[in-house]
Amino acid sequence: MLSIVKSIALHGLQGYLVNIQVDISAGMPAFEIVGLPDTSIRESKERVKTAIRNSTLEFLSRRIVVNLAPASTKKEGSIFDLPIAIGILIATGVISDKPLDNTIFIGELSLDGSIGSVKGVLPICIEAKRLGIKRIILPKANAKEACIIKEVEMIPVSDLNEIISYLNGDIIIPKEKTLEFTSNINSDYEFDFSEVKGQENVKRALEIAAAGGHNCLLIRKSWLWENNASTQTPLYFTRFNF
Amino acid sequence: MLARRLPSILPDLTFEEALEITKIHSISGLLSENVPFIFKRPFRSPHHTITETSLVGGGRIPKPGEISLAHYGVLFLDELPEFNKSTLEVLRGPLEDKTVTISRVDFSTTYPCNFMFIASMNPCPCGYYGSTEKQCTCKEEQIQKYIHKISGPLLDRIDIHIEVESVNYQKLGNTSPSESSNEIRKRVNKARHIQLNRYKDYHIFSNSELTPALISKYCKLSPKSKQILETAFNRLGLSARAYSRILKVARTIADLDNSQHIQTHHLAEAIQYRSLDRKYWHR
Repeated sequence: MLSIVKSIALHGLQGYLVNIQVDISAGMPAFEIVGLPDTSIRESKERVKTAIRNSTLEFLSRRIVVNLAPASTKKEGSIFDLPIAIGILIATGVISDKPLDNTIFIGELSLDGSIGSVKGVLPICIEAKRLGIKRIILPKANAKEACIIKEVEMIPVSDLNEIISYLNGDIIIPKEKTLEFTSNINSDYEFDFSEVKGQENVKRALEIAAAGGHNCLLIRKSWLWENNASTQTPLYFTRFNF
Repeated sequence: MLARRLPSILPDLTFEEALEITKIHSISGLLSENVPFIFKRPFRSPHHTITETSLVGGGRIPKPGEISLAHYGVLFLDELPEFNKSTLEVLRGPLEDKTVTISRVDFSTTYPCNFMFIASMNPCPCGYYGSTEKQCTCKEEQIQKYIHKISGPLLDRIDIHIEVESVNYQKLGNTSPSESSNEIRKRVNKARHIQLNRYKDYHIFSNSELTPALISKYCKLSPKSKQILETAFNRLGLSARAYSRILKVARTIADLDNSQHIQTHHLAEAIQYRSLDRKYWHR
């Protein structure tokens, strides 16, 4: 039986849609991933297999072929663990076959079936929004990072059993609250210019640099300048509690 | 240190800037549940043992380097001549283009790197050259070799050169409070708002990003200012790149002054920030 699950991969900062096609057929037991996977994706075979078993589900001894389309682009990372597992579970009938066209899955699986964080969630969500995707199922640890994107529903999940019950309609996972952007949150900085005595010309230069985003080169003229800096060192020591 | 205090006066981020910064931090795996979004401008200060690859980005599948992590923030290189010369030279392109394209066998990608480049250095290996308190013990060749680790093209891309003079004992003991960072930041924010409004149709955020076309549109000079610039140009032996950078800095000084046009004293201050390369590099 064939199932298709969607995910998004990254090329630099740019995301692109990847279809994870899983086919399970009779034949010699095997598990193949094709579509130019790198080592970390090839290793996901073992993670997916073990995670499904340890989630007290059966991993069928059949011939399983996973294709990551577009098959001509090289893919990397552990981001496809979750969509591959979901694809297998749909193909074996554990998850009821409902249309998942508007859903993206991302996440890394650990051997006990829990879902771990991945890199690059924000650019993925931005691409999902651009493609008109309605829902993203993502690791709980990444949910806060993603929720700045308001147009897409973010569903945080923590393990494989939870997501199976969610997709089968047994439980409802509340979507992550969206985060509002505020430009100036707080102004507590470690060092303040009020601690600097004199040197008005340098302060002025740095003010101009900050205002216009200009580059700046500071040339030290004398050794006493170094002494001034060293008066600040106790701050470094009091900052940590040994 | 003065440069370490720079983050406290940087202008507030716009949403677009913050999103770009967070995207780069996201693919580098630098976000966590505690820090899910970057609200402050980044301040990166790599040690001088940094390699070219970790500075501009790279790897089999290229990852962003320090310059991209400093996008819309500050890249601070302390003790600039101590860096590997070849490491410094790779900054040339990114400083001008504000993007970096990294190509490897299976993969090629472009990362943005619109950062403020802040560097500090001593004028000679012993650190006393030009000092009035102590004799410099370096040989002339040593000084030349040290200072010329910063090449002309790199120096040309730095808009503001400034000497940090020593603070004498009386001033150190002076307890009268100096201006706080908050007050400076208010002025900086005001100047940045003027820029954001002026450039809202061009998708740029600050004067440093002005293209030649925009410079001729927004950095117009009076005949008297033109004459001053011409004299300075000939006397200081400035390059074409320095010319546009002086105009950009003058524009910022005018913005800080809330002046619509660049006045003569704005331009004069901007020129003054380019006079040091002559003192140290072209002796």
